[in-house]
Amino acid sequence: MLKKLATFSKKFFFLDQEERDPVLHAEEVEALRLAFKSRYHSFKLLLAANNRILEGMADIERALQGNEPFSMSFVQTRCTAISVNVFRMINDMENIAPGKYTALKDSFVAIQKRIDTLLGARKQIADRRLVIPLESLSSKMIDLVGGKMANLGDIKNTLHMHVPDGFAITAAAHEMFMQADGLQREIDRLFQVAGSDEDRNLDLVSSQIRQLIMAAEVPEPIYLAVVEAYSRMKEAMDGQEIRMAVRSSAFGEDTENTSFAGQYRSELNVSFSQFFYYYKQVMASKYSVQAIAYKLSRGFRDEDIAMCVGCLAMIDAIAGGVIYTQNPLDNKDDAIYINSTWGLPKAVVDGNDLCDLFVVSRDDNLTIQRREVQNKGYQIVCLEGEGCIRTETDDVLAAKPSLTDAQVLDLADHAIRIEQFYETPQDIEWAIDIEGKVSILQSRPLQQLEAVLPGPDLDLKRFESSLLAEGGINASPGVASGKVFKVAKKVDILQFPEGAVLVVEQALPAWAPLVARAAAVVSEQGGFAGHLANVAREFGIPAVFGVKDAMGRLHNGDSVTVAADLGRVYLGNIGPLLEWTRPEPKLMLGSPIFELLKEVSRHIIPLHLLDPESRDFAPQNCGTFHDITRFIHEKSVLEMFSFGKDHHFSERSSKQLHYRVPMNWWILNLDDGFTHEIHGKYVKLEEIASIPMLAFWDGFAAIPWDGPPAMDGKGMTSIMFRSTMNTALVPGIKSKYADRNYFMISRNFCTLSSRLGYHFSTMEAMVSERSGENYLGFKFKGGAADFERCLGRVHFIRDILERYGFRATVNGDNLDARMEGHDMDYMIGRLKILGYLTLHTRQLDMIMGTSGLVTYYMNKLTKDIDSLLTEAP
Amino acid sequence: MDKKQRAFKVLLVDDEDIFREATARQLTVRGFIVQTAASGEEAIAQVNADPPEVVVLDQQMPGLHGSETFIAIKKIDPLIEVIMLTGNTSVDNAIELMQMGTFDYLMKPINIDELLYKIEDAYTRKKLNEKQQREAGQPRPLQS
Repeated sequence: MLKKLATFSKKFFFLDQEERDPVLHAEEVEALRLAFKSRYHSFKLLLAANNRILEGMADIERALQGNEPFSMSFVQTRCTAISVNVFRMINDMENIAPGKYTALKDSFVAIQKRIDTLLGARKQIADRRLVIPLESLSSKMIDLVGGKMANLGDIKNTLHMHVPDGFAITAAAHEMFMQADGLQREIDRLFQVAGSDEDRNLDLVSSQIRQLIMAAEVPEPIYLAVVEAYSRMKEAMDGQEIRMAVRSSAFGEDTENTSFAGQYRSELNVSFSQFFYYYKQVMASKYSVQAIAYKLSRGFRDEDIAMCVGCLAMIDAIAGGVIYTQNPLDNKDDAIYINSTWGLPKAVVDGNDLCDLFVVSRDDNLTIQRREVQNKGYQIVCLEGEGCIRTETDDVLAAKPSLTDAQVLDLADHAIRIEQFYETPQDIEWAIDIEGKVSILQSRPLQQLEAVLPGPDLDLKRFESSLLAEGGINASPGVASGKVFKVAKKVDILQFPEGAVLVVEQALPAWAPLVARAAAVVSEQGGFAGHLANVAREFGIPAVFGVKDAMGRLHNGDSVTVAADLGRVYLGNIGPLLEWTRPEPKLMLGSPIFELLKEVSRHIIPLHLLDPESRDFAPQNCGTFHDITRFIHEKSVLEMFSFGKDHHFSERSSKQLHYRVPMNWWILNLDDGFTHEIHGKYVKLEEIASIPMLAFWDGFAAIPWDGPPAMDGKGMTSIMFRSTMNTALVPGIKSKYADRNYFMISRNFCTLSSRLGYHFSTMEAMVSERSGENYLGFKFKGGAADFERCLGRVHFIRDILERYGFRATVNGDNLDARMEGHDMDYMIGRLKILGYLTLHTRQLDMIMGTSGLVTYYMNKLTKDIDSLLTEAP
Repeated sequence: MDKKQRAFKVLLVDDEDIFREATARQLTVRGFIVQTAASGEEAIAQVNADPPEVVVLDQQMPGLHGSETFIAIKKIDPLIEVIMLTGNTSVDNAIELMQMGTFDYLMKPINIDELLYKIEDAYTRKKLNEKQQREAGQPRPLQS
């Protein structure tokens, strides 16, 4: 019967052919061939652009998880790459179907405009005052004077605590300073010349820019405003000269998630004659190596940070320090932690000495729970003339507590009132003068971590023989291991290997850039209130401070395990301890660059055009680049298909696959998919030159299908091809692409749209020597069984695909699987899998209710696939 | 394309000597006939004297800027395909250049294979356009 039909159709076919072919002249044939080639080339470029867009979107989505730092240039290059490729696709589409989809350009322009607006947006400062006295400040003015000075305004003016007299030099002044003489333009240029964020020589750029700022003149209006503010302060002090603390109060500094701890310059005990020199020093510190590195890792652009400067009258401190109104290492511990030392609080934050710790519990009377009095060998005091000095404390004083109990309670009272005002835990810097008066110098939100307890069966005794050091202070919790790398000098910074354990004598802010690259930090000196401890907590890097003789006891290159919660360091990698992990902080969340990318991505990533059958599937409804991409991809495949169908040009009309018998598969040659020009109606498998199609077919035909329906004894071949055999051999001329099993092929490309039984699937593959452009996409939908069983099969197929390296997602009963970038052999193997699955998952929806059968088929299918993959190609 | 098929002329224009010479060497090894120019002015002279099939053109150059050079080249021969190279800090006018009809756009640092593919694709496109133009018997205008 089949033979008869085939013979009949052969006759029919030749008749048909003779009617058509002679109409075309040689030139017309040549012109058509050329048109096909040109369109196919555009189609190929379009597909490559489509892939690059998908990759770009995947990069953005990954970045938006917030785990990895990214810079503004990441945002710009990804957005540009996507825009350029979308534009490419529109141009290529125009070549494929001239004039048909011009409305896409309008959608593109509208979306691009929205993105450009976001990328080009600049913050405008409305209040143009250059200097504002402390008496007029409040936290409503953060955008004008930075968080540090704005908060001090609250504490002085609303809480009526003692804050030294002073004033803030504003963001408007910063803008004026940077605009004068094109300073900012020159800085931008230096950054550009230095190359990308990742590989520029930071030391060089940093020093060039800082020199530039130090050489700049302070604009006259700023100069006059500062002189006026200072004169007023002086008048209030009966004309006495006042020494000042000049401190950064930058945007983004001292906020909840980003501390910029110790990144910027602060200068103490400055006389007015030297004031502008130090003002510029603070401005320049925005470009210190650590500040630039920090900005990059936390998602700030240069222009996100206005460097406001605070000026406060100097306090001659007897004692000073830092209060944490709650435990930074345990958000369930609300006791007040007071760190204190002799002299100025700078000694506590700089982290080069030990300090006292007083812990006060919040019962009705405030009880001092704990007193840890350290030997405070050094203190920082104001010099008679100008500046400060770190001097030795005499032995008797060094060992004495730096605060009386009454002072501890007084400070605790201040702490609670400030915390109540801000309604969040605070990190407060304070000083006590010779008369015992408490001054507040700074208050900022405190970042609190969740305490993570070790697993119940962690037995520390087992590791005692490896213990190298104990009794350290937990400055930042966690456990990590790595090789010891000791840093003593600035030059050591350059050699520091990624993932090493940083070992230092003093926990100086200068080591901050290393913290993010270190596995853990160990320091001989310093406490948990220092800048470096802050930075370590922010980045989630375990740190133990106060480890006696760490520099002597740890040796470069040795593997050690740092268990910060225990205050211990062990030799070697202690596996059970390393399992005591906690979630990594998402450093980028909420940063200006992160927020910008999130905003921009709304015009790129969401997909609204989901259903190609819907009326809304139209160019003017493309609201995002993803929509445009999706629309063009869908239409380009259809255009390529109908271009072939619409031209009665035999060598490019669709052919029926003849594999022993005529099969229910039609093939459209896009370019070089056949070994030679085929004039007939059929194409034989051996005449096909398409690498991806042949690979798919290999997998499809490799192993016979054994059910359901059950074998009927007519031999393998008949069963295997029953599903795809045609009984009506005459193809309907006008059939739609989706109605049949259609391959469109070229040597390196193949797309298949197939309807086998009751499900619908499409496959698209590019396989060539260009590994970077290779990809494979597979979509699957539907079935004859009830929805739940169909869903069962969709998940079943997804599980198999994921096992073989596909990225697969299920949405409703739609399966979408993809892979890209592998070499030819690998891609051929994956295509075989798809061919195999296309045949062997037929009607599997029927058994999805029976778990025993599901397991059986899972085993059978994966076994078959493994044998397929091990076969010689 | 195999190495033999790549034996067509490619003009590489970049003011950065090290980049230009290194890239030229890499492309030569892969079979292209590589011409080089260190400035836009030099590139235009080269296109006039011995026109290449494809131009790889750096955007940021002292003297004649990449986009100006591009326009000048297209005026000499609209069928020459041009691939632009840019540093990653100046991405603003990428779309503008695409609209003017550059074939494609690559950001530095470039991946040599990617550049190779782009050059091959640009060449294929050029040959197709030339044939189609011959069929139609009229020149293809600058895209706007």
